[in-house]
Parts: sequence; C-alpha cells; structure tokens
Amino acid sequence: MSYVLAKSKDEEIHKAGECGGAVTSIFKYLLDEGLVDGVLALRPCDDVYDGVPTLITNSEDLIGTAGSYHCAPTMVGDLIQKYLIDKKIAVSVKPCDIRSIDELIKRHKINPDNLYTIGLNCGGTVSPVSGRKMIDLFYEANPDDVISEEIDKGQFIIELADGSEEAVKIHDLEEKGYGRRNNCQRCDVKIPRKANLACGNWGAEDGWTFIEINDEKGQELIDGAKKAGILETKSPSDAAVEGRSKVENIMIKMAKKNQDATYPSVNGIDDWSRCISCYACRDICPICWCYENCELNKSYFDEKDIPPSPIAFQGVRLSHMSFSCCDCGQCDDVCPMDIPVSLIFDKLQKKYCNRTGYVAGVSTDSKPPLYSPDKVEL
Amino acid sequence: MLEIKHTLCPSCSVGCGINVILENNAVVGTFPYKRHPVNAGKNCANGRNSIGNFVNKINEASISQANVDLDKAFAEVSKEINANDKVTVFLSGNNSLADAEAIKSFSEEKNLDLVFYADDLRNFEDVASYDDVEDASCVLVIGDVLYENPLIGRRIVHAKQNGAKIFSNIKAEKSVTANISDETTSGSVQEFLDTYKDNLDDSSVVVFNTVDCEDDLDKIEELGFKILPVYSKTNTKGILSIADSNSKEEIIEALNDTKVLLIFNDDVVDDFDFDFKSISKVISFSAFKNNTTEISDIVIPIKSWLEYEGSVVNAMGETQTFVPVMESDVLSVEEVIEKIKG
Repeated sequence: MSYVLAKSKDEEIHKAGECGGAVTSIFKYLLDEGLVDGVLALRPCDDVYDGVPTLITNSEDLIGTAGSYHCAPTMVGDLIQKYLIDKKIAVSVKPCDIRSIDELIKRHKINPDNLYTIGLNCGGTVSPVSGRKMIDLFYEANPDDVISEEIDKGQFIIELADGSEEAVKIHDLEEKGYGRRNNCQRCDVKIPRKANLACGNWGAEDGWTFIEINDEKGQELIDGAKKAGILETKSPSDAAVEGRSKVENIMIKMAKKNQDATYPSVNGIDDWSRCISCYACRDICPICWCYENCELNKSYFDEKDIPPSPIAFQGVRLSHMSFSCCDCGQCDDVCPMDIPVSLIFDKLQKKYCNRTGYVAGVSTDSKPPLYSPDKVEL
Repeated sequence: MLEIKHTLCPSCSVGCGINVILENNAVVGTFPYKRHPVNAGKNCANGRNSIGNFVNKINEASISQANVDLDKAFAEVSKEINANDKVTVFLSGNNSLADAEAIKSFSEEKNLDLVFYADDLRNFEDVASYDDVEDASCVLVIGDVLYENPLIGRRIVHAKQNGAKIFSNIKAEKSVTANISDETTSGSVQEFLDTYKDNLDDSSVVVFNTVDCEDDLDKIEELGFKILPVYSKTNTKGILSIADSNSKEEIIEALNDTKVLLIFNDDVVDDFDFDFKSISKVISFSAFKNNTTEISDIVIPIKSWLEYEGSVVNAMGETQTFVPVMESDVLSVEEVIEKIKG
C-alpha cells in the first residue's frame, strides 16, 4: 500500500472532476488503451440528484461522469454480476460497492480478473428525494438551482448556478431526520481498500486527488495513466497522510457512536407487521444471488400470510447472508413499507464479526467462516 | 450495450417511476428510480414484475391464432366493423390520454358503442395529493391500500408515524392496512363512514380503492373532506375526463348485445362474469399475449408501454409523461386506428 497525489493533465477533465479529475483520467486511459470494454460509472440523468449507472464505451463520453454524486445511492455489484459478467470493465466503487463485489467474488459470481475497481472514499450518501426536501427546508436555495454538491468537513455543501455556495452541518441536518441515509450514518468503512485504488479529497491539496494504491493492479493503473500522459502525480506530505487518517478516524468514531445508539432499537422493532412480502429487499440485495433457487421460493416454504412471520421470511435471509451484509442500505431504500431492514442485518453482521472477526467485504478470508453455498432440500 | 432508462410503472394509478435495464434493445431488468418524487425508488412486486410481460410480446398479427400479414388483419378488422351494427369498443385505463382520445373519436366517427370500466369508482375533480395523505391528522382507508397500492400505503404509514389516527374498512380477515390502523371494521362502507366521520378535520383524507356500491361514492363526497380514490389502472383517472365510465353490470349488458368487440390494450376476460366466446368476433389490440388474446379471433400487435411516448394522469391528478425507451417497428394505438379507418 502506498499513497500518491494525482491530477488530470487534460484541462477539461481537471475542471470537471471533483478534485483534479484523476478518476476520470484513469478511466480514459483504460478505455483509450483498450484495456477495458467499458467503464461503469454514475452519470447525472435529469439533474445532480439523479445519478444513474452508465456503461461508457467511448472515452469522449467520460466527461459526463466526472464529479461526485452524493445524492445517488446506487449499487453496481448486482449489475456487474447479472449483466456484465463476461465484459472487461472498470468501475467506480463506494466502500459498500466494493464490499459487495468482494463477497460476490468469494462466491465466484464475479471474476476479479475482468475488473478494475477505482474506489471513492465515502462519508455517506443522501437519498435524492429527501435530499431535495432537505435543501428546500434548510438552505436558502431552490433545489432545482443546485448544480453540484459535496460533503466536506462535516458539512453538506451545495453550489448554485450563480457560483455561490451554501453549507449546513450534517450533524444539524441529521438531528432533524435529514442528511445521510441511516445506514451511511452507522457505516464504519469509509475507504474502499479492497478496490485497486481508493481516491478522494481527504488530505489532498486543492485540485489534486489523494490516492491510496491498494495493490499491484492499482500501481499499474497509476503508472500506465502517467505513461500515457494523462495523469500527473506527486507524493503527499506526511501532514496530508496524517490529515486523511484523521478524517477517516473521526468518521469511524461517529459511525460507532451511531451504531451504539441505533443497534439497541432493533429489539423493539414492530415494523415487520406491515411487510407485504414483495421481496424487494431480497431482489435488490447485492449479496443474494440464488434467484430462482432461493429458499423463499421453495414449495416447503409455505408462508402465504401477509404479513409473513418475520422469523420465517426474514429469518431465512438472515441465516443465509447476514454474515455478508455490507450495510449498503439498498433494502431500506426499496422497501415500499419503509421497514428498516438493513439495521437488523447490519447488527447481526456485527455480532458475527464480534465472534469470528469477519468483516463482510473487508476481511481477506476466502469465504465467511462457516459459510457453505450448498443447499439441502428439506 | 447495457443501459438504464427512466419510465413510469404501468401497474396501477399511483404513478411510480421505475428504471428499466436494457441490453441491446431488450428489457432485462428493473432498477430503482430513486429520484422519482412519487416513490423514491421503491416499487411493489407488480411494478418490478411488469417487465415479465416482455417474454409474451406480440410482434405479429393473427387471425384465429394463425399469424397473418398485418394489412390482411387490418382489412379483416375493417370488414367486421363495417359489416356489423353491434360493435362495442372497450376503452381501458391502460391507454394513454392521446390513445383514449383517438379511440373515443374513432368510436364516435364509426358510431360504435364505447364502454369503459373504472373499478366502479368515478372521477372526482378535487383530490388529495400524496403529501396531503402524509400530512393528514386522520386517514380513513377503504380497502387494503397498503397491500394493493403500497406506494400510497407508504404515505399512510408516514401519516401514522407523524401522529395521525388511521381507521380502516377492510373485508378481509387479516391485512397489513389493518395492522397499522388504530381501528378496523369489516362492515359496510356506509357504516364505517358514519362511525368515524366525527374524527375528521380539514387536514384529514379518505383514501379508497374500492367501495360497496355507487351510493358510497356520494357519501364520501358529501363528507366534504379531502379524498383520494386509487384506481387499478395507470390512466383511469385521466380517461375519466375523456369518457364516461360504466359499471360492471352496464358493461355485461352491452356485451350481451355485442357482435364485434374491440379491446384496446387490456386483458378483460377474467374481470367480468361473462362468456366472451359468445361474441361473434373478439378483436384484441395488445402488446402482450394474455388471456384475452387467447380467446380473440383477431389479434393486432401494438406498441408496449416502453415503446411509445404518451401521458397519463395519476391518482392525485398529476399529468405524467413518458418517452419510448426501446426502439420498435410495431404501430401505436393511434397508428392502428388510422389503418383501420383506412
């Protein structure tokens, strides 16, 4: 593992990027050199709140993916596994993205040789609809006028079309029920170290991206992009490295505090009584890969009641994958009944971790301890 | 090439957004549309499964279940319409506003009987918004809205979490709507309204997707509070502004006299206690194979909801537009009508 500061040598990319355009430049290098079939990255569709995963095959289109989109809590592991399994791709990943990809790699559902993973440090994401409402309520701005946003120094900062900026402390927003998604508030994995590279602005000088090079493949990416003349690098100062570490530790400390506050509330959850058995939580889960072979589809799972018995319905899922839950919060996001599904799964993963030391998508074990993919017909 | 595109869910009148995943112009999956103001990326099972129809896509016209040239099928349809004086046109809540206008004017021009079923509900000019539901101090719910229209049910859950009282009238013994309600009755809607009307104030909302009889609609309206009728089909509310609706009994009566039935974009055979095979010619205009196309004498393919541009009006009265996300050579309803007019 080593550190480097990097920025794009392409003026347009440098300007469009969140902090120097290093990520976009590495993608451009990969596409231009023919090392990948495509780049999977977020592109704003209707506005900055509407980031949509997009497969880019022409490097000229990459500029549309530059910048950060905190109001786009998407996941890509599922997309890669289901639709891009045979493609050689590069992908930008948040910590929960790479954690789910890692779990799928461990289950032989994704071939790591086909992937370049460019990690993005993550302080959390905001749901787009509540994010717009938050801006309407707590900022002197029309949500439609926001052209970009960022999370920095404990603040959610918006930039308006007239060039002005407004910032509100995330803590204040979250006290009022807004700000980052609940799972992001308790997430204690902020730097995606299982990705080939982990990029971000923590510890970086203005106009530069701080990159942690996590493996040999990551080093090859930096060397290759430099050689291609699109990336400029320099070594970060000790103070920069220390500053970045400090930010990470503060965020982890905040997450742990949130965990301590929220995990006990699981015991009192009665939200299951409004479960409509729609299977949205299962279908979106980036770890669930059994599909038609899912135990919940089996004839002996005779659970016709609406709502289903939580111990039967969620119990099956909990026993199958909670040890690999990466707390991405997608199950919360898609539940039509707003049941805080991920809180339960995440709490159980932490219990499993306390017993086994296994952190989903982070530990280097070849499989979660005691995991078996075998299924036994009852 | 993998693409994710925005569209609207076709499964009921709530008007949820949904993303579809396309691979080489074939729909292969759905993806949460989290930016959509109605549902914030949440879709019910019906919505997510709506793409399942594409394995049953109809691309060729058929007569007596045998594929035929499209022009031959059009000629046959025109002949049937011109040769019979008892032709009924079934307008559906699945049709877009423009399609409904075209179907209606075609029916008027050819002097055909038009029928339209709106779940035994009717049009109400002023309806509550979904935000009104979550901000309500009291919500009266008629029908298992949480289960049948979950993305409006979610707003009722929010109202409950905001401190609202929830009273429901549900015939089923068990339901998720009852589970979140302060009190639930299973008697008549009239009794239910009489029992709980004194709990209502200016911010209250009556949400319903079913009633016992037409008088219930009058009674709900007479209460004078905000109301939100939820229809089973995407554009039922929009079409109620274009065409009068009929009760099931009226439609069955019309079908009894019908010699030729034209069904636009719907699967109706299981919705009515009627032997559709007793009609001389059933002509179905459909994007997908279904129970109605199975018993139809002539089937004409039309564009699916992912292949054309249009607009619909959701349950809260908001006009929503959608654009094609897939390329298609199949004709739209409007184009098909032009061909039949020929």
